[in-house]
Amino acid sequence: MIRFELDPLPRRRKRVGVYLGVLALAFTLAGALFAAYGVGPLEAYGTLLEGTLGDPQGLAEVLRRTIPLLLIGSGLTLAFRVSFFNIGAEGQLLLGAAAGAAVALFLPASAVSLPLMFLAGAAAGGLWTLPAAWLRARVDVNEILTTLMLNSVAGYLVLYLVSGPWRGEQVQGFTYTDEFPGAARLPLLGDTLVHWPTLVLGVVLAVALQVLLTRTSLGYELRVVGESPRAARYAGMPIPRVVLLTGLLSGGAAGLAGVGEVAGIHYRLLDPSQISLGYGFTAIIVAWLARGHPALVLLTAPLMGLILAGGDLLKISLNMPFRVIDVFSGLMLLCLIAGESLVRYRVRWAR
Amino acid sequence: MVRRQVLLLALLALGVAGSAQAEEKKLKACFIYVGPVGDIGWSFAHDEARKLTMKALPWLETQYVEAVPEGQALPVIDRLVKGGCKVVFTTSFGFMDQTLEAAKKYPDVVFAHTSGFKRAPNMATFMADFYQLYYLNGLMAGALTKTGKVGYVAAFPIPELKRHISAFALGVRAVNPKATVNVKWINAWVSPVKAREAAEALMAEGNDVLAFTEDTATVVQVAGRKKVPGFAHYSPMHRFAPDFVVSGQLVHWEKIYIDFLSKVRDGTYAPGKLKDVDYWWLLRESAVELGGQPGLPINPKYVDALKKAQMTVGGKQVSVYDRVMELLKDMSSPTPTFDPFTGPLQDRNGATRVPAGRVMSPQELNQMQWVAPGVVGPVADEPK
Repeated sequence: MIRFELDPLPRRRKRVGVYLGVLALAFTLAGALFAAYGVGPLEAYGTLLEGTLGDPQGLAEVLRRTIPLLLIGSGLTLAFRVSFFNIGAEGQLLLGAAAGAAVALFLPASAVSLPLMFLAGAAAGGLWTLPAAWLRARVDVNEILTTLMLNSVAGYLVLYLVSGPWRGEQVQGFTYTDEFPGAARLPLLGDTLVHWPTLVLGVVLAVALQVLLTRTSLGYELRVVGESPRAARYAGMPIPRVVLLTGLLSGGAAGLAGVGEVAGIHYRLLDPSQISLGYGFTAIIVAWLARGHPALVLLTAPLMGLILAGGDLLKISLNMPFRVIDVFSGLMLLCLIAGESLVRYRVRWAR
Repeated sequence: MVRRQVLLLALLALGVAGSAQAEEKKLKACFIYVGPVGDIGWSFAHDEARKLTMKALPWLETQYVEAVPEGQALPVIDRLVKGGCKVVFTTSFGFMDQTLEAAKKYPDVVFAHTSGFKRAPNMATFMADFYQLYYLNGLMAGALTKTGKVGYVAAFPIPELKRHISAFALGVRAVNPKATVNVKWINAWVSPVKAREAAEALMAEGNDVLAFTEDTATVVQVAGRKKVPGFAHYSPMHRFAPDFVVSGQLVHWEKIYIDFLSKVRDGTYAPGKLKDVDYWWLLRESAVELGGQPGLPINPKYVDALKKAQMTVGGKQVSVYDRVMELLKDMSSPTPTFDPFTGPLQDRNGATRVPAGRVMSPQELNQMQWVAPGVVGPVADEPK
C-alpha cells in the first residue's frame, strides 16, 4: 500500500529534483499535445527555442513580454509571502493603465509626463487593492474573492471610459482614446519594441522588494505575519497595517505594469481585453514559481515571457491554434502545484 | 470511380510539376486576423476567402496568424516579413496605425488594411460592404413583423454599424412606415453571453424579428429557439435555425483578394503605387451576397409570406418579394440605378442629411455618424 505522510523538512535536493521532474512532466504532456495536433514535439520545441533565444528579434519579443510579468510578479511574490493572495493584479494593471492614460491625455505634455504617469499608475493600482486589503485586515473577508471580483469591476470601468467620456475624437466611434502625445510615450530599445524604462523599473523593483523583505525590520514583520499571524499578534505587530501595505505594494506594482503597456505599446487606452493579454493572471504563475523571493522573479518572469513569446511563434510559424499556449501554461501550473504537494509529502511503501 | 481517381492523380502530378516550376516565382501573402479562425464571423470569413484565393491563384503561397490582439500586430508583421511575406493583409480596424507604421518600416512590402481610412504609398485599404444587403433585409423584416417592432443586436456604435442599421431601418420603413428598429449595443464583437442577453431582452420587449451585427451566431440561435425569424450576418448561419433564418448578409473577400493579388503580381500595385488604392466593393462586384447561406437569397419558407406582403413603390403596389428581387438584380448589375442612401434623406432628429437627387459617397458612408428615422435607442456620437 502506498501512504503519503507529511515531510516536515524537505531537503533542498528533493525540492529541486521534484520541481525539475514536474517541469519535465509538463513539457512531456505539452509535447504529447503537439504530437496529437500533428506537429512533432521536438520540432515544436526546436522552433520555440530557435525563434526566441536564437534570434535577436525573438529575444526582444521575450523581453517585451517579460516586462509586465516582472513588475506584477515581484509584487505578487511579496503578497503571497505575506499570505495575502492577491488574484486581482489584472484589474490593478487596468487601473494603472487608466490613470497613466489620464495623465497623458488630460495634463499638458512635458518632460515630467512619463514619471507622473508611472506615479499615477502606481497610486491607482495600489488604491484599487485597498478595499480588498481593508476588508481582509478589518473583518477577515477572504481577499481571493474580493480581489478577483474587483477585476471585472476594473474591466468594466475601463470599458466605460473608452466607450464613453474618454473616447477619442479621431477614432471614428471605435472604443479607444486618442493617441498619447509624444512626450507620454516610452522610448524603445534600438529598433526593437522593448520599452526599456519599464524593464529597468521591473528589475529595480524585484531587487528592492527582495531587500525590503529580507534586510529590513518591516520585511521581518511581513514575513512573520505571513508565516504565523498568531505569533505576529503575540509579538504585538500591527497586522492590519502590514496587510494594507502589502496590498498597496502589490497593487502599485501591477499599476506600474499597466502604465508600461499603454505608454510603451499601445500609446492609448483601449478595450480592457486588449490592454494586458492576461498578464495579471500569468504573473500568478511567475510569483508561484519564485517561492516567496521577489528577486527570483528575475528568473521566473523571463521563463514565462519565453513561453508566451514561444507560443506566439508556434501560432505564427507552425499555425497551431492560439489556445495552445493557454493549455501549455495551464499544464505548467497544474504540474507545479502537484509538485508543491509532492515536496511537502513523502511516499511510503508500507504493508 | 477508378477513372476519377486516375484523373485526380494526374491532376495532382501536374499540379506538383507546375508548382515545382513556379517555385521561384511564388508570391507570398500573409493574413493577420483579429479573431480565431474558428469563430463564425469576421476572421472565419477572411480565412475562407484566403483558402479560395489559394485555389484560384496557383502562384500564390499564404500564411495566416489568428487571434492577434490589437496592440500586437507589429511584432507579428516583423516575423512575417522576415519569413518572406511580400503582401500583408491586416484585417481589423484596430490594426490601422500599426499597419501604417509597418508600411513605413518595410517600404518594399505591400500592405492592405481592411475597413480603415489611412493609406500610404505601399498601403492600400479595402472593404466589402453590406449596406445594400441590409436595406433588402430591412424590406423583408418590415414585411414579417406583426408588432411593428424589429430588434437589432449591435456591436459598437461605429460608422459601419450606423450605416448598416440605418440602411436596415430605411428598408423596414419602406414597407411599414410606422415600424421601429430597436437597437441594443453589446460593445463586443465576440460575446455570445452579451448577444444572448440582448436578443432575449429585445424579444421580451415585443420585437418579433431580429437582425444583428456582431461576430457570433447567437442571435439567430436564440431567436430560432423562440420561433422568431432572424437574419444571418457574415457567414452561412442558415444551418443554426433552418426554419427561422429568413436571409442575411454573406461576404466574398476572395473577390477582392484575387483581384488585388493579381495586380500585385503583374506590377500594377507595386509598392509606391498604392496611395489611392481603396477597394469599396459591393453587390456589383459580387464581393457580397444576399442570403443565410450561399445560393439561397431567401429562405423558401418565407417566400409566400413575402409575396403576400405589399408595399408602395412610386405610387404602385408591389409585393415585397418582387421588390427585393428587382433591387437585388439592379444592384448586382454593372450599372446599378438604385442606392438605399439616395436623397432626400433626414436623420432621426429631422435634420436633412442628404439633399434630393444626391447619393452618399463612400467617404460619407465611411464617416456616417447620424442614423435614419425609425432607429430607437441610444446612439453614441450622434450629431445634434
